[in-house]
Amino acid sequence: MNYERELLKGSTDSLLLSLINRRPNYGYKIIKELGKGSNGYFQFKEGTLYPALHRLEKAGLLQGKWQRLPSGQERRYYYITPKGQKALVERLAVWQDFSTAVALIMKPTTG
Amino acid sequence: MAMSASSNYAEKVKRNLRLDNTIKSDVVRELSTHIEDKKYELIESGLTEKQANATVTRLMGSPQLVARQIYEVYSQGSWLQAIFAALPHLLVAAFFALHWWQNTLWLLGILMAVVITVIYGWFHGKPTWLFPWLGYCLLPVMAVGVLLIYLPGGWAWLAVSAYIPLALIIVFSVTKKISRKDWVFASLMLLPIPIMLGWILALWLLALEHENGFLSYEQLYEFAPLIALSFGVLALTVATFIRVRQRWLKVGVLLTLEIFVLILMALSGKSSINPGVWLGLVLLAVILLLGPALLEKKSKQPNRKPLNLSRRSTTDFRQSNNT
Repeated sequence: MNYERELLKGSTDSLLLSLINRRPNYGYKIIKELGKGSNGYFQFKEGTLYPALHRLEKAGLLQGKWQRLPSGQERRYYYITPKGQKALVERLAVWQDFSTAVALIMKPTTG
Repeated sequence: MAMSASSNYAEKVKRNLRLDNTIKSDVVRELSTHIEDKKYELIESGLTEKQANATVTRLMGSPQLVARQIYEVYSQGSWLQAIFAALPHLLVAAFFALHWWQNTLWLLGILMAVVITVIYGWFHGKPTWLFPWLGYCLLPVMAVGVLLIYLPGGWAWLAVSAYIPLALIIVFSVTKKISRKDWVFASLMLLPIPIMLGWILALWLLALEHENGFLSYEQLYEFAPLIALSFGVLALTVATFIRVRQRWLKVGVLLTLEIFVLILMALSGKSSINPGVWLGLVLLAVILLLGPALLEKKSKQPNRKPLNLSRRSTTDFRQSNNT
């Protein structure tokens, strides 16, 4: 399995929590925002987003609610829960320490 | 008329998703709305409807994989559910380990607990923990068959040969009904049957060695710890089944531990079951645990109705995406 995919697999939950913490959203828009916010770096296989969202919901970190749009159509919006916000704060702290430590070691060699 | 991409994809996910109808319909509805949004975006970018359908199906990924991953999210029961599902086997294990069989009140108590739990579970959405309890409701069906052996003279064989088809019809119809929900639940329900049959057979063979055809208390005492151990392993099997997420692992646990109990029964040295009968019990265990899969496949074939969740046309989605 390639390295990039492994990294993404380990960060999917944090990315989703982070994005939904900014604004509650539904699956299709979440994928759009992930792509747009990362300058096209994060390209999810669309169907595989839903198992991740449902896993976070089952863990009590997100809550899904069907909401009617002004057009009359319904979409399932995901909201972050207080438990999800707490988990996000913890994950952000771990991520910052981790990325700082990795950056200190993994410097590109010059010359 | 050709099915739309959302109906086609959602139908494939639905077919592979063995979950409660509420969760299933929510997931399918959610995927359908996503597909319609994506399809609209692709049509807006200049693709034809046919091209958009093909592209969106490819972008969604394998419906089998999506169904499997969503199944694994919801398939794991809590520890409390695991304990409650293992409880009937634990009660039977305690019945033998603590020699409750000497007191009829304990037997009646356990039977009442089984009946009350099954009625409650049956009318409260048939949760996973119900099925091990339901298996014990089939016990009286088997017990009547065993008691018929004690009828006088040639009547015994006549009654048994008439009763066996009737008992099989009852077991078969209950299994078929459960298999429609999910065949692994039927396997979970049938799990104790080969073990119960094995022990009944072992005790019966032992009783035949006696002049009066009945077992002595001493002999039952000798067998009781082994019977208790085998039902203890069944309790462990059920608890593991509830806690693991992967479907293949659930089936693997049922098969492996069931055969382990049968090996335990054969190696105990106390039973007079010969290798031929033992192999017959192993074969019966495999049929009872995997047979429901065939029943489910057969019962689902004629009733495949396509989903029609995209009630609105693509133009409706244009409005929503512009909001």
